[in-house]
Amino acid sequence: MSKFTAIALSTVAAIAVTAFSANAEDFKIGLSNGWVGSEWRTQMIDEAKAAAEAWKAKGVNVEVVVQSANVDVPGQIAHVRNFINEGVNAIIINPNSPTAFDPVFAQAKEAGILVISTDAEVSSPDALYVGIDQTAWGAAGAEWLAKTLNGKGNVVAINGVAGHPANEMRVAGYRSVFSKYPDIKVVNEVNANWDQAQGQQAMQNLLATYPDINGVWVQDGMAAGAWKSIMDAGKAGSIAATGEIRKDFIDLWIKDKLNSGASVNPPGVMASALNVAVLMLQKKELKEPATAGQYKNAMYLPIPFIDSSNVADAAKQLDGKPGYYSYTEQLSIEDAEKLFK
Amino acid sequence: MAGAARTSSGGFRRWMERYPFLPALLILAVLLALNGFYQPRSVSLVGITGLVKTYLALMLLAVAQTYVVYAGDIDLSVGAIVSLVNCVIVVLMQYMGGTAFSALGAIGVGLAVGLACGLVNGLLVATFRLQAIVATFATSIFFTGIALYILPVAGLPAPAAFWRTYGGRFLDIPFVFYVAVVLAVILWAMARTRLVMRLLAVGDDAQRAFQSGLPVTAIRVRGYVMTGLFSALAAFCVTGDTASGDPLVGGKMTLYSVAAVVLGGTALSGGYGTVVGSVFGALIIGLINSLVYFVGTPSEWQNLVQGLAILIALMAGVVVGRRARA
Repeated sequence: MSKFTAIALSTVAAIAVTAFSANAEDFKIGLSNGWVGSEWRTQMIDEAKAAAEAWKAKGVNVEVVVQSANVDVPGQIAHVRNFINEGVNAIIINPNSPTAFDPVFAQAKEAGILVISTDAEVSSPDALYVGIDQTAWGAAGAEWLAKTLNGKGNVVAINGVAGHPANEMRVAGYRSVFSKYPDIKVVNEVNANWDQAQGQQAMQNLLATYPDINGVWVQDGMAAGAWKSIMDAGKAGSIAATGEIRKDFIDLWIKDKLNSGASVNPPGVMASALNVAVLMLQKKELKEPATAGQYKNAMYLPIPFIDSSNVADAAKQLDGKPGYYSYTEQLSIEDAEKLFK
Repeated sequence: MAGAARTSSGGFRRWMERYPFLPALLILAVLLALNGFYQPRSVSLVGITGLVKTYLALMLLAVAQTYVVYAGDIDLSVGAIVSLVNCVIVVLMQYMGGTAFSALGAIGVGLAVGLACGLVNGLLVATFRLQAIVATFATSIFFTGIALYILPVAGLPAPAAFWRTYGGRFLDIPFVFYVAVVLAVILWAMARTRLVMRLLAVGDDAQRAFQSGLPVTAIRVRGYVMTGLFSALAAFCVTGDTASGDPLVGGKMTLYSVAAVVLGGTALSGGYGTVVGSVFGALIIGLINSLVYFVGTPSEWQNLVQGLAILIALMAGVVVGRRARA
């Protein structure tokens, strides 16, 4: 046992020595993803890895270490603890819960680690959020729908998982928009758990119940399912519905000339967060401190919007990619630098 | 030579009969050593404290699951009970002003909620004779629904007094270690109670237990009540470690609790097992998750390797156990 302790201690010492002697421009960044249910997440991690690679050209060595698996909230807290044990410089996390990480992020900060959440906001005062504003995301789709319907008509909404923060923010976003249009009536709102098949079934039920629907507000992959039901019912010409950003859908959108519009939550958000993280690790200061959002710790990225006027450009970007690949945008290193002093 | 081997294997068999969790303990030791080898800091005091802090909830939930599994039942609503109790106590503490007294009151109410959930499950499964796996799956959706009604969206913070205690130290020793010791004493005392013996008897052969005059239905209901109570304890730990209310927080923990029970050497068919094994099973799952990362598994493969590692741990347990019983 004492031999083991000696080995352990010397390893610790060795790590400490390498940590201190390393070049100041060597950064180790931990990426944590707690859900692997969609290709979007895979693409998010791949883009972040590529972004880290791109820093080499600037003479900065960014090593990324990744923990990505289906875990519960305690499991993802363990991700963070593993990163702390390993002594990374920064942690970028797509969190499974908005509030559950407050204590462990406080520990990370004590250990001198920069914590950035992306894709979903966190309440911790010890972390920063770099990503899109989900409320604005929901509002953008609703704005498009309201304009397309000329401010008048019966609308249904198909939402994700009840109680999920991103879902609730998106719902708040579309409700605030529709409330400004007195002639738009939201006749029903259902939950389809961000599942394409459930989205399709929900749309079928809605079409059967309300034959006079003019517009559909639906999120993400469920849009492909909902559109399938709309087309099966032969109503593609008379209904406007929000769409999604995967290549399969965008191809269909162009082929069948769908009346659609899609807010983009680009999988590049984690890459954007990584570029911001590296600049912060270089001790650069933000021109405007990140104080947006309900938790006053957010830095919102622009939300691209695809409608029939620019869907062809989106298709061009996705040309040659597999069908599940999402349209993406990210904050380039240069764009990110402009945000700093 | 052969004779000596036979006696030693016979000795091991007797050990295995008395302590069915021995294979799990062995696997746990191996995993600890491997974690320490790949990341020395993960087995430092800070690392171990973190491990206990993170997985105390799963340990308690695995214990909760064990009591119904003893009787050959199963409870797929334990994760939902965790979510519900978590939301109830966080909302209650907020409502009562976040004082130390409110924390104690909330803990009392939380235990009552866990007990009530367990009672509902027990009545449905034992009294109304619904299939345990489907009935508790249904109640899990029902409990989550109540949690969503109480707290529609994750985000209400728990009072600082609550999570500072859980994450803090007392006389220089992390609070969670005291909890672990108290838990060990409770489990040790519980293992000798009549209820546990009877649960095991029902799980071994319900027909024969009934014929020998045991009140099988009442025993199974009590098993579910125990499960509900320990799920509530798990919820307190989740609340302590996450410092907030989240109506979906426990959902994914359910199947992990079943896995921990099986890894700990308890038979899902009932009648055989220990709660200590389930505690080890929970730690095994935690250590596997960390090890998969510390050995440097690429992210695309982490889920696959994690699943394989759990399977290997399961097989190792079976092989060791079978050799002992053969």
